[in-house]
Amino acid sequence: MFFLLPTATSFWYSLTRWDLMTAEFIGLENFHQFFSEPFLVQGLINTLIYAAMTSGLKTIFGLLLAVLLTSNLIARGFLRTVVFFPVLVSTIGIGITFTVMMHPTRGIINVALEAIGIDGPGWLTDPALALFSVALVDLWKGVGLATLIFIAGLAAISPDYYEASRIDGATRMQQFRRITLPLVQPATITVITLSLIGGLRSFDLIWAMTRGGPGFSSDVVASVIYKQYQAGFYGLSTAGNVILFGLIAVIMVPLTFMFNRREIEQ
Amino acid sequence: MSGVQLKDIRKSFGALEIIKGIDLDIQPGEFVVFVGPSGCGKSTLLRMIAGLEDVTSGVLNIGGKDVTYADPSKRGIAMVFQSYALYPHMTVAENIGFGLSLAGRPKVEIEAKVRAAAESLQLIHLLDRKPKALSGGQRQRVAIGRAIVRNPDVFLFDEPLSNLDASLRSQMRLEITDLHKKLGATMIYVTHDQVEAMTMADKIVVLKDGRVEQVGSPMDLYNKPATPFVASFIGSPKMNLYSGVAAEGLGCKTYGIRPEDLTLSFEKGRWNGRIRHVERLGADALVYLKVEGLGDMVARTLGGAKFQPGNIVWAEPDATKEHRFDL
Amino acid sequence: MRRTRPIVVGGISLAVSAVVFILPFLFIALQAVKSRSEASRLNFLLPKEWLLWDNLVAVVEARNYQLLLAYFNSTVITVFSVTILVVFSAMVGYVMQRRKSRWNSVVQGAVLIGLMMPPAVVPTIGLLQSIGLFKTMTGMVLIQVAYNLSFSTLLYRSFIGTIPRDLDEAAMIDGAKPWQIFVRVVMPLLKPVTVTNIVVQSIAIFNDFTNPLYYLPGKENVTVQLTLYNFQSMYTSQYNLLFMNILLVTIPPLIVFIFFNRQIVAGMTAGGVKG
Repeated sequence: MFFLLPTATSFWYSLTRWDLMTAEFIGLENFHQFFSEPFLVQGLINTLIYAAMTSGLKTIFGLLLAVLLTSNLIARGFLRTVVFFPVLVSTIGIGITFTVMMHPTRGIINVALEAIGIDGPGWLTDPALALFSVALVDLWKGVGLATLIFIAGLAAISPDYYEASRIDGATRMQQFRRITLPLVQPATITVITLSLIGGLRSFDLIWAMTRGGPGFSSDVVASVIYKQYQAGFYGLSTAGNVILFGLIAVIMVPLTFMFNRREIEQ
Repeated sequence: MSGVQLKDIRKSFGALEIIKGIDLDIQPGEFVVFVGPSGCGKSTLLRMIAGLEDVTSGVLNIGGKDVTYADPSKRGIAMVFQSYALYPHMTVAENIGFGLSLAGRPKVEIEAKVRAAAESLQLIHLLDRKPKALSGGQRQRVAIGRAIVRNPDVFLFDEPLSNLDASLRSQMRLEITDLHKKLGATMIYVTHDQVEAMTMADKIVVLKDGRVEQVGSPMDLYNKPATPFVASFIGSPKMNLYSGVAAEGLGCKTYGIRPEDLTLSFEKGRWNGRIRHVERLGADALVYLKVEGLGDMVARTLGGAKFQPGNIVWAEPDATKEHRFDL
Repeated sequence: MRRTRPIVVGGISLAVSAVVFILPFLFIALQAVKSRSEASRLNFLLPKEWLLWDNLVAVVEARNYQLLLAYFNSTVITVFSVTILVVFSAMVGYVMQRRKSRWNSVVQGAVLIGLMMPPAVVPTIGLLQSIGLFKTMTGMVLIQVAYNLSFSTLLYRSFIGTIPRDLDEAAMIDGAKPWQIFVRVVMPLLKPVTVTNIVVQSIAIFNDFTNPLYYLPGKENVTVQLTLYNFQSMYTSQYNLLFMNILLVTIPPLIVFIFFNRQIVAGMTAGGVKG
């Protein structure tokens, strides 16, 4: 009730100029305004970039880490714990910590880079870089969950396949490409789906680190929604909500269908 | 003690009818076995008697009362599941006494009844264990114990021995038969194993595709199978069955002769064939023949018989034990 | 060669992940015990004086003991939300798994939408206002329950799928009524997934920032994450206190994690794979 009712009414309110008490019907005006403001459109594009980047990186690094952490090496249990722990920690705390570490002059990252002779960039102050920096922190925080899902997926692959392929003469690389990758696909799909949804909805990390800045360079739809809400443009804010809703539906529904079909074919 | 009557019982899932009108009269105290290949509807039928599946149409009486739509617990039945369905979080004693405790019986009474049941099943020393600490045979006994304390009029067994290994299975067969003799209750037992059916039943019900194929005592079914299906299902090794042109030559649509009703010799017989293979089981031997114009044939002979693969032999049927079917 | 390789690879990956995943936490801890001027240099040097206690007291006392209030609020919200969630989602999960009816696909759809879609913020505030629950702890608890119900339900449903139906049926024949089957047979078997649910959802709700930001503004209702957010702007020159605060906020999930490592991992993967 607290979820479905507001979602349904949001479609109506997104068509109105609204201050919680009175709603004046203005048709698609909100959407028109949304798409005519360049910084709002920028937010939309940023959302897509951010989601694609975080989910792609989490998939790749998650799989690599999972392969590493299921192979026979020392301190495996400890490593799994270490990689997973950021998942459980307050996003705001992480955001603040990395904001400080990414400080352009005093930040530990640039100090370290300077020590080896590289002039570190303004991670969060350079408009061209801010969104990517946040995405990297998102990767750091979220890769543990992806790794965990991949580890579960890898554990479900019977060792018989590896032994059989070794007798067939497969190298490690061939085993990875021809056995691991196809058989771990259910986990891959899960990771992509989860991290895409998470990326599209992402708000708190971005808000803690850049507040969408500098300028509007790292604004995403979710942060736009909050800004419009703060400024009292409830109709516009709700329009943002509906747009985000639509965006997720447009991306996730065909993707889910595609994944389901591929799973059935196998 | 109650009898069970089924009158034109039917069951459909959507457009698919899987029980196609079954009439059956089970006498009080009878041990009845439902047997048939997987998918014949035997388990569904049992679950309908238990009340776990709705009856689409027809009437079900237990002990003379119409229980077609009654709650499972109100039918005077108890059931032993294939998986035993022991509650994993309860001890053996709690498992056996669960039904009584649900009924709100006093603790003393529950304990006495649980002990009595456990005693008769040699479970006394296991009462405080959890199911996962028990062996397969012990779990089986707990499941039976849970049924006994309910003091039911009718026991239902759903393939209860299929998860046990061969030696345990024959032992539990005896125990269940003993239990039947001791309690004298009506028992309905589902299995796909014709050996269980033959050894335990007073009456066998052979089911196929949701219909009753034949009802009768084990030896009735063995001696006078009504259809080729029953003929092939009861008895091991299977009856030799021939249809088509070969059977027409023998004056019927399907002709059957059991391996034990064939006599092999080097001198004379109705059919002439080459031995492909001989299985020596000790006391007797199974001889596999290829008969020209008829096909494969199995004959049971004495274990010491000197037949060898490659021999050409004659097979003579016992004329009183030939089966001719018009199907 | 073959023998040494795992050790070499292990050693390298251990070192790399130590740097990448542990250093930030070390950084937090270090800054938290430094003096104000030392912390402002933001480096990895050990502090000259260890001011753990002083910084702790300073953070706790700040803004009229706001942090203590926040801890209290966060705990209350978490405890109530998780309790309601567990009871509710276990029942919904059970019904979804065991009763196949036409409503099932509707509920299923609602659960999936709930899992995927962002909530519509402003209309929700409108709804809460109209029933007088906006800016209240009760409202916040209801919101957390509504938003997290999908995940918990899926977790329960997939677990209940592994409980053989025979058990329900055996209980039915033993004379159990539907609620007795649930309470006496199914519930005790749900213990592992219930622990998972409690742990995972506690951490999620305790760490939640966005929802309190929207639905729980105002000083008297601050949650732990909100104080952290507020302190961020307040303490730009007092990094030692800021990081002490982060440290304090990070500790509860760390403790929970140490105790319930297995359940968390199980819950995250199960929920992830099904979701």
